[in-house]
Amino acid sequence: MRIVMKFGGTSVSTGEKIRNVANIVRDNIRIGHEVVVVVSAMGDITNQLIEEAEKVENGNEEKIQEFIKKLFEKHANVIDVSIKNKNLKEETKLEVKKIIDELKKILTGICYVGELTLKTKDQVLSFGERLSALIVSSTLKDHELESHYFTGKEAGIVTDSKFGEANPLMNFTTHQIIQRIDPLIEKRIIPVITGYIAANQNGIVTTLGRGGSDYTATILGVALDVDEVWIWTDVDGIMTSDPKIIKEAKTLAGLSYGEAAEMAIFGAKAMHPRALEPVIKKHIPVRIRNVFNPKNSGTLISEGAEVESKEVVKAIALINDVSMINIKGARMVGAPGSYAKIFDILGKNKINIMMVSTAVSEANISIIIRRSQLERAMSILEIALLGRNLGNEVTAEEYVSVIAVMGANMKGSLGVASRIFTSVAKKDINIMMIAQGSSELNISFVVKEKDGAAAVSSIHEEFNLSK
Amino acid sequence: MRIILIGYGVVGQSLSNIFLSRRLENLRNYGFNPKVVAITDRGGTAINCKGLDLKRMQKVKIKEGTVAADNEFGHPQIDAQSVLQSVEAEIMIEATSTNITNGEPGLSNIKTAFNTGKHVVTTNKGPLAIAFPTLTELAEHNKVLLRFSGTVGGGTPILEFAKKCLAGDKITEMHGILNGTTNYILTEMTEKRVTFNKALKSAQTLGYAETDPTMDIDGLDTATKIVIIGNWIMNKKFTLKDVAISGIRDIKLGELDTASKKGKRIKLIGSINGKPTVAPKEIHKNNPLCVSDVLNAVTFFSEYAGRQTIIGRGAGGSETASAVLRDLLDIKYNLANKMIMLE
Repeated sequence: MRIVMKFGGTSVSTGEKIRNVANIVRDNIRIGHEVVVVVSAMGDITNQLIEEAEKVENGNEEKIQEFIKKLFEKHANVIDVSIKNKNLKEETKLEVKKIIDELKKILTGICYVGELTLKTKDQVLSFGERLSALIVSSTLKDHELESHYFTGKEAGIVTDSKFGEANPLMNFTTHQIIQRIDPLIEKRIIPVITGYIAANQNGIVTTLGRGGSDYTATILGVALDVDEVWIWTDVDGIMTSDPKIIKEAKTLAGLSYGEAAEMAIFGAKAMHPRALEPVIKKHIPVRIRNVFNPKNSGTLISEGAEVESKEVVKAIALINDVSMINIKGARMVGAPGSYAKIFDILGKNKINIMMVSTAVSEANISIIIRRSQLERAMSILEIALLGRNLGNEVTAEEYVSVIAVMGANMKGSLGVASRIFTSVAKKDINIMMIAQGSSELNISFVVKEKDGAAAVSSIHEEFNLSK
Repeated sequence: MRIILIGYGVVGQSLSNIFLSRRLENLRNYGFNPKVVAITDRGGTAINCKGLDLKRMQKVKIKEGTVAADNEFGHPQIDAQSVLQSVEAEIMIEATSTNITNGEPGLSNIKTAFNTGKHVVTTNKGPLAIAFPTLTELAEHNKVLLRFSGTVGGGTPILEFAKKCLAGDKITEMHGILNGTTNYILTEMTEKRVTFNKALKSAQTLGYAETDPTMDIDGLDTATKIVIIGNWIMNKKFTLKDVAISGIRDIKLGELDTASKKGKRIKLIGSINGKPTVAPKEIHKNNPLCVSDVLNAVTFFSEYAGRQTIIGRGAGGSETASAVLRDLLDIKYNLANKMIMLE
């Protein structure tokens, strides 16, 4: 099998963990797989790079040296553990030093110019992955495997020039990746490629933004026409619910692409819909696996998975830190465009609407937004609507939670909603707002925050998700 | 609407009284729901992004001398600049005391408010007197509104009268009694035949004049108002240093008597008719401008509507606070229109 394996930041955060990654790769090579490796930056490095770049933007040149020193030590310590061969160890450290010196020049430049554009930021960010890819590649060599490391740019990923959230030029990218990476695989050399990083057609570094390294993995998967893309993380796969809330939550064996895309709200453990886009077209399956438990086969995301499974409800997510706004006004009834106005002003003020519900009577509309944006949203809605015959009351319910119940087989199944809401009602929990998307993959509803966990648990039980 | 209030003296406290007592009417009649998210005074700041309890703030202010002493929301180390940088709000009300030397700290506060996207209502004349053209340019550049009704005439809508009621007409000249304290002193001298110093003492006893009465009696306060009227109403670009100013310190009883004999009174008049001036002048006692005590009066000469005079009390905490409320409602109305145009 030909496989792209992506290892996330937690999988490569220490020397031991990188050795573990190398073991996984070696085991798969031994059983005859062809492997292409994609890595994220180690642990928290990406955040540290952004913070440092923002700091030096305001001019603090002396601090750069300190940061550079720490960054080198951190990576050197990892190398000391991950690589046993002395020569290889020194060689790798020397290479790390070269890369970090380059970063130092860029940081100094930012400091002098006093300006951090998205373009420069992408350049700074690329160093996290460059360092981890180098170390992982060297560690593979230390495991007597042949390996070569590439930046996304060197591998051939070409994007537009939307710095911070670049989009790949898929055909161009495929053409280049086949030329550059395919021959290595044929020669049994393992390519290690930086996730998240690419370049525009002029060779200027770009980053892929949302979806990050997973996106790199699926782009490579499509270009190299692999059998599967494996996303290695620190959990067994996508779960029926957050195990912190539901102890009995279990790992899902299979999901459809549509279901997986809905799962994006489940947080960092799931994949961003953007990263799934390339593989959906080519029907390439994606597997979420646990680096610390490689025996578990994880969750397989593939075409047609919903047909194979019988469960109506697959998973339940609890989304906290949200608030509900209710806008009432008899004048909104039958007035064309009244909702458009509300959405327009919220959008212009950069407030994302997460969920909406309204009745056909139209006398009121309920909106769910991030709690951190509540004060701003209330203030601008009051200014825009009150006293002008548009809405006569704007009220907020600050502490609420959204519960999202999802599963592709809900589509066309009768009585699912009734089972969900009956089980919640049995716990004496009041439902404040309901919405179902037209895909019918998902029913979302809103309860008081204090009732959130109990509501999730009652549905989990009702649909026997722990079995 | 979220408001940051900088300066919590007489005007600031009067304003919070109005907010408290007229909450429901404001909401019902104007859809105006003010939330004061931060108050800064000389001792520091109180912050609550959900809106401060104004009753509680007044109590803390009276008892401790600063809102920063509040045990839950007070931050003694946070000043106006950092509040404006860090607290989200639609509006800043600048109600610190007037400084006509360099306009500070009001001038910096207004600039920072603009720079962080906040609309400004000011009752502080200093920044306007020093830098009126600069501030209107900056407001426009940052796409925010600047309102200052409370700086001229207190509760008497002198600026709105000229700007709105005489819209379309051209105001060619204006003359006005714009300082209640000096008008009281001159009235006292004329009617009770007392010396300047005695009349000033009496004004101080009654609370009309400050311990340091320089701003009023040397005509500086009147001059700042002339700057505001000239720039805002008459489209002239000048600042305080362009006004020829003389005060009433040297007015002798004899001069007042001579004027009286001619059926005239001496008043401290601010004028814009060509060059902006502030000086004691004789006017006929039947002239509508000739008001007594602490009253203010302004006469506008317009090209078509002729001579118009508006008279009213020119100062006081609740009067000025009512002008601030007027400005806030005007901003709310403008913002709402900008966000959603009604068909």
